Amino acid sequence: MKRRSFLKGTLATGAAAVAVNAGLLTPSTVLADWNKKAFTAKTADDALSAFYGSSNATASGDIQLKAPAIAENGAVTPVTVDASGIDGVESIAILASKNPIPLVCEYTFAASAVGYVSTRIKMGQTMNVIAIVKAGGKLLKAEQEVKVTIGGCGG
Amino acid sequence: MSIKIRMRGKSTGGVAEIKALIKHPMESGVRMDKKTGKPFPAKFINTVEVTVNGVKAIDAQWSGAVSANPYVAVKVKANSGDEIAISLSDNTGEKGTHSLKLK
Repeated sequence: MKRRSFLKGTLATGAAAVAVNAGLLTPSTVLADWNKKAFTAKTADDALSAFYGSSNATASGDIQLKAPAIAENGAVTPVTVDASGIDGVESIAILASKNPIPLVCEYTFAASAVGYVSTRIKMGQTMNVIAIVKAGGKLLKAEQEVKVTIGGCGG
Repeated sequence: MSIKIRMRGKSTGGVAEIKALIKHPMESGVRMDKKTGKPFPAKFINTVEVTVNGVKAIDAQWSGAVSANPYVAVKVKANSGDEIAISLSDNTGEKGTHSLKLK
């Protein structure tokens, strides 16, 4: 019970802060330009075209895509993309092929970063998780099907 | 109030794995409210930046399909004593930042 009321309390103060922000400040500038076109695209190919100018990716065995074969809860599907075996990784994108907005996240790496991302994503139904790795100007792809037994997007 | 971030990092052999847990609803704007028939308003983190000693190492863009209370792990080339910082903002302009010195 203590934890529950604590959570409620923090949520309430959070909402209040948002109200203050909205009232007093105009929406402030974001850290980097958020690619709206790619994040509103309805298909994986459109999203990739909007982001990279091409949806032409070659399948690569060097990308280690780790996702569960069966996700008990689609709202929290752990996905790990390890491209540290590839030289000169510029970016990693994770897509869920049948989500309303397929592009989930995109990471751009400077030279001081390693091509590795692990996160949790929402999946509405059984579909493929696609990892796109850009290295040396080329798009590489790895794909894996995840069976979802409880939906993540429909609530 | 800013977005809450919990973060851990450890460097082994020049490569540090940074793990972060962020407290955020990540409402995608697609989910329907069954009572009103309208979608819940979107509120999700859309930009994330990781710096090593103040220099940008990773720049990420997210959609609302990253799970609520996001967990993220990334790797950067850094040694113990280096300062790692994560800063992020959501589509309503709310921001959060957290930094640590690597062990």
